[in-house]
Amino acid sequence: MEYLFTIWILVTLNFLLPRAMPGDPFLYMSADEGQEVARFSEEQRQYYLEYYGLDRPVAGQYLSYMSDLLRGNLGYSLYYNEPVSTIILRRLPWTTFLVIAAVLLSTVFGTILGSISAWYREKWPDKFLFFCLILLSEVPAFLLGLVLLFTFAAGLGLFPLSGAITHFANYSSWWERLFDILHHAFLPVMALTIARLGGMYLLSRNSMTTVLEKDYLRTAWAKGLPKKRIIFRHALRNAMLPIVTRVFLSLGSLVGGAILVENVFAYPGLGHLMREAVMVHDYPLVQGIFLVVTICVLLANFLADLVYKKLDPRISDYSGIHGG
Amino acid sequence: MLVKIVERVKEFSLPGKAGLVVILVVLLVAILAPYISIHPHNISSGPPLSPPGGGHPLGTDELGVDLWAQICYGARVSLLVGFGTALLAALGGGLIGIVSGYLGGWPDKVLMRLIDIMIVLPDLPVMIVLAAFFGPSLLNIILVLALFSWVFPARIVRSQILMLKERSYIKSAETYGAGVWYLMWKHFLPEVFPLVAVNMIRLSGRAIVAEAGLSFLGLGDPTSKSWGLIIHHATNFKGIYYTDFWKWWLLYPWLALIIMVISLAFISRELERMVDPRLGR
Repeated sequence: MEYLFTIWILVTLNFLLPRAMPGDPFLYMSADEGQEVARFSEEQRQYYLEYYGLDRPVAGQYLSYMSDLLRGNLGYSLYYNEPVSTIILRRLPWTTFLVIAAVLLSTVFGTILGSISAWYREKWPDKFLFFCLILLSEVPAFLLGLVLLFTFAAGLGLFPLSGAITHFANYSSWWERLFDILHHAFLPVMALTIARLGGMYLLSRNSMTTVLEKDYLRTAWAKGLPKKRIIFRHALRNAMLPIVTRVFLSLGSLVGGAILVENVFAYPGLGHLMREAVMVHDYPLVQGIFLVVTICVLLANFLADLVYKKLDPRISDYSGIHGG
Repeated sequence: MLVKIVERVKEFSLPGKAGLVVILVVLLVAILAPYISIHPHNISSGPPLSPPGGGHPLGTDELGVDLWAQICYGARVSLLVGFGTALLAALGGGLIGIVSGYLGGWPDKVLMRLIDIMIVLPDLPVMIVLAAFFGPSLLNIILVLALFSWVFPARIVRSQILMLKERSYIKSAETYGAGVWYLMWKHFLPEVFPLVAVNMIRLSGRAIVAEAGLSFLGLGDPTSKSWGLIIHHATNFKGIYYTDFWKWWLLYPWLALIIMVISLAFISRELERMVDPRLGR
């Protein structure tokens, strides 16, 4: 319910922002800053006002804006000369790919490292891992990305400097194409993964330590179960719950990181597109990307709530999930 | 007060002490920027892209502007954005937390839902859109960052107030006819203040990173040269990948940012452990 409400607020904000902006659309449409202002005659003014529906009351504009949105019409990009939705759909897969790869990798490695740390609590592997990962968790993804770019791509030449695929390449087979894509995506995904690793590590270390002290684990040891079974079936399974929540809760900041990292590597996802659109003052496109990205993140969280209730029937109350 | 602070600092672990020293040095550099930067930070003072050494301790950028001077003045921007945002967020969030926690009922419910939503909402796209529409001035950036930071102090304050409200000494003060304002000043604020103050350090770290990110995209305030903006100019320079210029032009602002952020994190970690041992994750 509140997700729908939030989406409505975002959509309305998106409608109001350009109308709250200082200045006149005619000035904005007809000349760049500092250039000579092309003058519209009064008839032309009237014609365009009618054409764009700006002579109607704001409520009417709002209704038609909403019905356009519901039909998937996000407007028309002034710079690319294409419908905004088409451009976004072309770029969305790249960003989704980066984000999902980073989520999976950081969760898996973070959990493994966290479990190792919890197992050797207060011994040297724990202390060493703790110090390194605390340091890493504070470094923002785009600064990490710059290091990776300059050492592995520019310095050593192991990876391409920019882009997601080699332009004008002829692939002899599908796996060659796949390799090319992975080769391009490797450094951006690494930057995002390493930046998130610290947070996932701390969480799983905590979660694992709590679980390891529980009575049912003592029972499992007393029963003489094999170590592997205890770790994977008994401990990890229960420790995973807070980790799953965290994955979705931090999706927003991960998307923010992805926007910056895409710009470091000139990776052709939505983040790179958004910056280009801002630079060329393509406002419909900026707004379209903003809506798509925020709504995607909200939807993912909505799904997470549903999944979480299935995973842990003890929690039926929404606020409990966000309490931790 | 001062003695107390010194005593506290003595209990810091080594990383905490190091972080504190770094932040103090950055603070000094920011305050003394006009005196310790030999060259001007906004106009050319030597050959472009000269490596460190000679008259320029950290070299110059593509316009021949001294990098050391730029980093000195950039410290001012970073500190201003960090502490400005943290202060605004703490004031606003603290107020909202008090209202939410003390009143309860429907204001509390509405505010809690709002907080839940603000936490999942991705902040960077919103910041980009607002920066694009309202122009990238430093004040706007601080306002937008504060808009996304108030939820953390609000949550802390709310949970504290909820806990304090049930304490017997507060109850008895209430039966003696203590008003809302009296309770606020005499009981709630002194209890809540240390927690919020500690959280402010974390918030300022986040704000500094966010400002650097926006500036890196070229959406920061173009008139105030922050560390992020130096990185933006360096990475947008054609041929930065094929030359050695990055060894000073990119490296030094990068180092400044990383050291600053990590120091802030160490300090806040240390303080969090002191204020509330349960938080010492």
